[in-house]
Amino acid sequence: MTPSVPIVEFRGVGLRVGTTTILRSVDLVVDPGQAIGLFGANGAGKTTLLRVLGTLSRPTEGLARVLGVDLTTTDRYDLRPRIGLVGHTPALYPELTLRENLAFAAEVMDVARSRVDEALAMVGLAGAAERPAGACSHGMQRRAEFARELMVERDLLLLDEPHSALDRDAVDLVEGLVARTLDRGGAAVLVSHDRDRVAKMADRCVELEAGVLR
Amino acid sequence: MSGIRRQALAVARRDLARERRRGEVLWVTVPFGIIALLLVPLAIGTDQATLHRVGPGLYWVVVLLFGVLVGVRGAADETGPQRDAAALLGLDPVAVFAGRALATSSLLVVFELVVGVAAIALYDIDLIGVGWLALVVLLVAIGLGTLATIASSIVASGAGTAALVPLLVAPLAIPLLLGATQSLDGLRQGTSILSWILLMIVVVLVLGIVGVVSSGPLQESR
Amino acid sequence: MTAQAEIRDRRWPWYVAVVAVAVALSLSMISPPDAVQGDLIRIMYIHVPAAWLAYLAFTVTLVGSIGYLATKRMVFDRLAASSAEVGVYFTGLAILLGMIWGKPTWGVWWTWDARLTLTAIMLFVYLGYLALRRATPDPDARAKRSAILGVLAIVQIPIVHFSVVWWRTLHQPPSIIRPDGPAIQDPLMVIALIAGVVAFTVVYVALVAKRMELARIEDAIVAREATFERPVAGEAVVAPDLSPEPGGAR
Repeated sequence: MTPSVPIVEFRGVGLRVGTTTILRSVDLVVDPGQAIGLFGANGAGKTTLLRVLGTLSRPTEGLARVLGVDLTTTDRYDLRPRIGLVGHTPALYPELTLRENLAFAAEVMDVARSRVDEALAMVGLAGAAERPAGACSHGMQRRAEFARELMVERDLLLLDEPHSALDRDAVDLVEGLVARTLDRGGAAVLVSHDRDRVAKMADRCVELEAGVLR
Repeated sequence: MSGIRRQALAVARRDLARERRRGEVLWVTVPFGIIALLLVPLAIGTDQATLHRVGPGLYWVVVLLFGVLVGVRGAADETGPQRDAAALLGLDPVAVFAGRALATSSLLVVFELVVGVAAIALYDIDLIGVGWLALVVLLVAIGLGTLATIASSIVASGAGTAALVPLLVAPLAIPLLLGATQSLDGLRQGTSILSWILLMIVVVLVLGIVGVVSSGPLQESR
Repeated sequence: MTAQAEIRDRRWPWYVAVVAVAVALSLSMISPPDAVQGDLIRIMYIHVPAAWLAYLAFTVTLVGSIGYLATKRMVFDRLAASSAEVGVYFTGLAILLGMIWGKPTWGVWWTWDARLTLTAIMLFVYLGYLALRRATPDPDARAKRSAILGVLAIVQIPIVHFSVVWWRTLHQPPSIIRPDGPAIQDPLMVIALIAGVVAFTVVYVALVAKRMELARIEDAIVAREATFERPVAGEAVVAPDLSPEPGGAR
């Protein structure tokens, strides 16, 4: 990837579902090596914007490019493995153990199985690898999801409330994960209510207000 | 291609591992199916000759109606965040369809076998042509599993999923029901069942093609 | 964004429909009674056209589904949905009339004739299609998903048809009367039947056109609300009011 291509290039992006407008003419450019803090009240559309950035929701208006690919095209599947998303609701399968959860990701992404235990050790969950995700605390599940992101290399990292339910060590972990992504020329978008903490990590902060970016 | 196969197997393994821990099929759907077989004689009488005659047909009806419930599982058991996370692993929609259909079909084979043993015991069904029988069981499992997987992903986002899937599947599964019952009849009477087997193979192929072609548009969120 | 919701209220299809139905009804009344069935035969003049519409409506739904998938134009979705709604009605009518006709003719409400079985199966495919539409609130998702179901039905129904017909030919019931209907000899009977089919088709076209127009207006209202009147999502959440007056105090 040439460094001149922005990781995110949104111009006048809007999203409407049925009768509800969720995003309205969002302009956002994120260059390689940049971390953006995204703030906003409940229901302002932060999580939706994150899903659009993650190619999971298709915008209904405007020009939207992520990693140089137009999001309105159907061919977004090649793009997806390069984007990491850790949402605020755990996305692990509760019946499977933490190791099985990560092993599934490793198998789908064709990553060596040995990386699973390495990643779990990095987030301090080596001892809990055999525990079903459903029996783990919220914080542990989030750690396991960060382990999944550590296991693979992403060019765009999307974190929704990265600091919630995490202790001091785990917060360092998030910062390490973001720093690693930025170092290799990627970018990160951090959604949060914790302005102080995110402002320290971010190069730039934007505010989403009723579907409009300010 | 090898990537899709690897991903499909990963999806199937994930679904089967989750099912093994939950035991929904084995400990809920299978007993439910056997209860259905127990209820019928209570309602229509316990005359051995009658039961012997209606047993095979009844068994396939139970497989069709209750087997659909095995397929419904796939639609309801993935939350939005789980689907998002899986999508961002770069899962190919064809792999998701194939993996889910594979897992559902495998579970259906188990369902058919356990309920089949109960049917043989309760209705005194003769086992004739075990090799052919195995093929019929397999074809019904793949056909029904594929159909239920497609129907589940058609209704995936909507409410009332669990009730809707059986309504969509049952009428379209009729060729499988007829193929299976007529094959058993044919085996019992010693007539050729090749054409019915062929019919079921055609159904499986057609559903497979529909599933692969529709997987992309169906899994795309919007 | 074309959010025009002006109502195009075409009356003429209804006038044509009323005239056609009146003509068909008169012909079915003046046509001679059947040699065997007597006046019972008159049910045929409604039953056969209704059954014809069941098949026509289903075909139109499938055409609409394919049209939508190929072009993504909502007009095809509306065509498919409207035709299905009208189709359910006429399929149900055809089955019901068939049963009413069957009871005095064959002594049973239902026979396992291939055509009868297939019509019943089609009714349930239709009902599933409409249930899916009701369960899917987002218009684009609804159009796409129901169109895919429509296409799944188009590939599967012929196989269902084939297997049921085959099953019947293998298991022809030994002495039950074949429910093929009576032989029609009188030319007036043929004319009455054709008039019925034409009249019902006109009614079908008028109903589908009206239903499509209604769906278009519904969509236009939704689109207009989305563009102008409705608040943006975030405005649904306002700052909490912490003034010390509880709701009940006056």
